[in-house]
Amino acid sequence: MTVKGSIQSGIATRSDGSSLLMNHRTRRQQRVVGFLGSGFLLAVTSLSSFAVLFIFYFIARDAFPFFQLQGFKQFFTSAHWYPSSATPEFGSLAIFIGSGLVTLGAALVAVPLGITAAVCLSDVLPFSTRQVVKPVIEILAAIPSVAYGFFALVVFAPLLQERGGQLLQVASWVIGAPVAILGVVVAGDLLTDRIPASSRSWARWILMSVLGAVAFWGLWRLGVSLGGITISSGTNALNVSIILGIMALPTVVSVAEDAIQATGRELREGSYALGATRSETILRTILPAASSGIMAAVILGVMRAVGETMVVWMASGNAAQIPQPWYNMLQPVRTLTATIAGDMGEADQATGSSRFHVLFAMALCLLVFSFVCNLVSEWGVRRTRRKVGR
Amino acid sequence: MRLETRKLLDRSFTASGVMAIVLMTAALVILLAPMFIRGSGAIFFTATVEHRRLMMEKFERGNRPTIEAEIASARSAREPVYQMMAEFEKQVEVMPATERRKMTTQLKELKKALRALLGPAPGETRPMLMRDQFGQTRWDRAQVKLGRVMFREEWDYSHPERGSVKVMKPRVDDFAGTALAPLFPYLTAHLDKMLLPAKTVYWQFLTDESFDSHFFGGIWPELLGTFYLTIGAMLFAIPMGLIAAIYLTEYAPENTFVSFLRTCISTLAGVPSIVFGLFGLAFFINTLGVSQSKSVLVGSMTLALMILPTVIRASEEAILAVPRTFKEAALSLGAGRWHTVMTVILPAALPGILTGIVISMGRAAGETAPIIFTAAVSVGKPLALWQVFTHPTPALSWNIYNLATEHEAMDEIRHVQYGLVLVLVTLVLLLNLTAILLRARVAKRLRG
Repeated sequence: MTVKGSIQSGIATRSDGSSLLMNHRTRRQQRVVGFLGSGFLLAVTSLSSFAVLFIFYFIARDAFPFFQLQGFKQFFTSAHWYPSSATPEFGSLAIFIGSGLVTLGAALVAVPLGITAAVCLSDVLPFSTRQVVKPVIEILAAIPSVAYGFFALVVFAPLLQERGGQLLQVASWVIGAPVAILGVVVAGDLLTDRIPASSRSWARWILMSVLGAVAFWGLWRLGVSLGGITISSGTNALNVSIILGIMALPTVVSVAEDAIQATGRELREGSYALGATRSETILRTILPAASSGIMAAVILGVMRAVGETMVVWMASGNAAQIPQPWYNMLQPVRTLTATIAGDMGEADQATGSSRFHVLFAMALCLLVFSFVCNLVSEWGVRRTRRKVGR
Repeated sequence: MRLETRKLLDRSFTASGVMAIVLMTAALVILLAPMFIRGSGAIFFTATVEHRRLMMEKFERGNRPTIEAEIASARSAREPVYQMMAEFEKQVEVMPATERRKMTTQLKELKKALRALLGPAPGETRPMLMRDQFGQTRWDRAQVKLGRVMFREEWDYSHPERGSVKVMKPRVDDFAGTALAPLFPYLTAHLDKMLLPAKTVYWQFLTDESFDSHFFGGIWPELLGTFYLTIGAMLFAIPMGLIAAIYLTEYAPENTFVSFLRTCISTLAGVPSIVFGLFGLAFFINTLGVSQSKSVLVGSMTLALMILPTVIRASEEAILAVPRTFKEAALSLGAGRWHTVMTVILPAALPGILTGIVISMGRAAGETAPIIFTAAVSVGKPLALWQVFTHPTPALSWNIYNLATEHEAMDEIRHVQYGLVLVLVTLVLLLNLTAILLRARVAKRLRG
C-alpha cells in the first residue's frame, strides 16, 4: 500500500476530528497494517494459484514410478492393456486412440454447430430472441455430466441398438438434403455464368435438374446403405461422441460468440459499405478477424470433451481395443478418463504397484495436454483482442 | 455470381444459423424430457397394497385399520392362487417320475415368479432380504412381473444364421390339463384385486432412507450428502476466491509474478475433473492425511479446488463491472483502499459475485468425478454433522452412476435412478435460475 493511501485512511478513521494530520507513529502503524494486509491477500491468492502447481507435482510424483518401472515404450506404443494379469502389460495406445476418437467425434458435432450458432447469436438474431436462447445454452452447460451419461446409457444406447440404422438414415437425409439443394443451386448458377443471357435461363434449369437428380440418387444410395447397418452395441464411440459434442457446445458457442463480438462494429460497417451481404461480411471479414478467438473456442470445447469422465465411463463400452478400421465409430472404445475412474477402485488396494501408478501416468498426460491447450487458447483470445485493437 | 444467388446464399446462411439454434434447443428438450417425465414417476405413481403395507410397517404411515382391511381383501383375492398350487402339488405327487421331475422344476420357477409379483406365500418363513418380503409396490413393475409369470423365456438356436432368438413361451401351455391351468386366466383377471392399485404421491421419496440397496424407500442420504459436499465446497471456495479476486482487481501490480498467477488460475480451470479426484486422493488423503480414507471433508476440499477458478473469475468480472466513479468518490472522501473495497465496491458487486457463486454451487453439486476417490460411497446412512470430518457419504451424482451401472438389479430400480436424476437436475436448474434472475437484477440496476 502506498503512503498516500494510508494517510487518507488515517484521516477517514479519525472521527473525533481533533487533528487532520497524523503523527509519525500512527503513520508507521498504518503502513505496517497496510503492508501486512496486502501481504495476506497476496498469500491467499498465491495459495489458490499454486494449487495447480501442487496438482502437477503430486500427479507427477505418483506417475514417475510407473515410468521407472515400465519405461515409456510399451505405454505409448503397445495396445495390450492387461493390468491385472500375472504378467501385467500396460500398453495404452488403444486407450489414447479411444480418447482421440471420441474427442474427434465430439468436435465434429460441436464445432460446426457451435460456430454457426455463435454467429447466429451475435449477428443474426434480434435482441429479444437472443435473450431466450442464452438461457438454453446456460442450461445445457449446467446439466451435470452424470445426467448426460445417464441419458446416453439408459435412453440413447438402447435406441441406437434397436433403431441405429434408421436413425443414421434419417440423420443423413436431414443433413444431406439441404446441403445438396444449396450445392445444386450454386453450382448451376456458377456453371451457367458464361452462357449468353438469351439461353441462360433454360440452360440453368436443365443443368440444375440433372445435378439435382444425381445428388438425390447419391443421397438415396447413402441412406439405404446406412439404413442397413445394425449396431451390435449401443454403448459405443458414436453414442459418446454425440453426447460429448452436445456437452461441449455451450463452451464453443459462448467463447466463439465473445470472439465474434469483440471484432467490433467498424469492420462490419466497412464491409456492408462495400456492398457485401450479411453472409459475405461474416464469412470473409468477421470470421477471419476472429479466427484466433474461434480457435480458442474449439480448443476449449475439445478440452471439455477430453477431460469428461462420467459420459465416457458410462456409455463408451470400456473396451480397450483399437477399432477396426480406426475410424469405426460403431465399436466400443475406452478413454483415459474412464480408465482412471474405473481402475482406481481395484488399483487402490495395490498402492505402489505399476497398476496404481499407471493411472497417474495417464492423468499426467491429460494434465499436460490440457495445460498446452489452455496456453494456446489464451494466446488465441489475446491475439484476437490485439488484432482488432481492443 | 448473380445477385439472386448471393441473396439466396445469404438467406440459406441465416437459415443454417437458425437451424443450429433450433437443433441445440431440440437437444436440450430431448435430453430433459425423459428425465422429467420418468423422473416424476418416482414420486407420482400407481402404488399397490404392498407399498401401503411397506409404509405402514417401516414408517408407521397411513391409517392402520384401512390398510389392514385392504391387506385382508387382497389376501382373500390371492387365496385361490395358493389353493390351486396346493392342489397341483398333490397331483404332482402321483405323477410318473420323469414327468414329476419336469413339473417340479417348472413349478419352482413359477413360484419364484409369483413371489416376485405378490410377495411371500402365506405361511412361508419370512425371507431374509427385504426385496423378498414384499410384492411389487409399483403397478407398472407389477405388470412386468405379471409378464414373467405368464411367459417363460426360451432361447431358440434353431436358426444358426440369426444366432440366438428369444422366444416367449406361455406357461399356461406347460401346465395344460393340470390343476394349475386356470391359474393364469385368474391372475390376469384379478391382478387388480390382488394388488389394489391406487394413485399415490410419494413425496417422502425425498426424505426417506433407502432400504435393501435402493429397492425401497427414498434418497435422503444422497440428498443430504450432496448438500454437505456442496456447502463444504462453498465454505472453502468463497473466502479464497473472493480474496483472490479482490487482490487481483484492486491490489495487484502489473508485473510478471501476477500474470503468472493469472496463468495458474486459468490452467486450474482447465484441469480435467477426474484429475482433481486423483489429486485429492494423492494429496489430501495419502499425503496430508486429512482423514483416514474417503470423507465428506476431503470431497469438499477437492470440489472447492475445482470451482475456485470459476468463483475467482466471476467475482473479478463483477468487481470490474462496478463503475470507476464509485471507487473514485469513495477515495476522494478520504476512505482507505481496504475501506473502499469493503464498503463501496463489494456491496455494489455483490449480486454479480452471488451469480458466480450460485452457478459454481450448481457445478459442485452435480460433479461426480472428483468425489469418486475422495468422498463417495454407494450405500450409507444419512450423516450427522460431526461425522462429515471422518465419514464418506452417498451423493446424488455418484449414486446415479452407481445405480445405473453397478447395481445388481438395475432394471428393477429404474424409477429410483430417474428420480435421482430428476432431483439433481432440478437442483442444478433451480440454482441456475436463481443466477439468471440475479443477473437480470444487476443488469437493470446498472442500466438505470
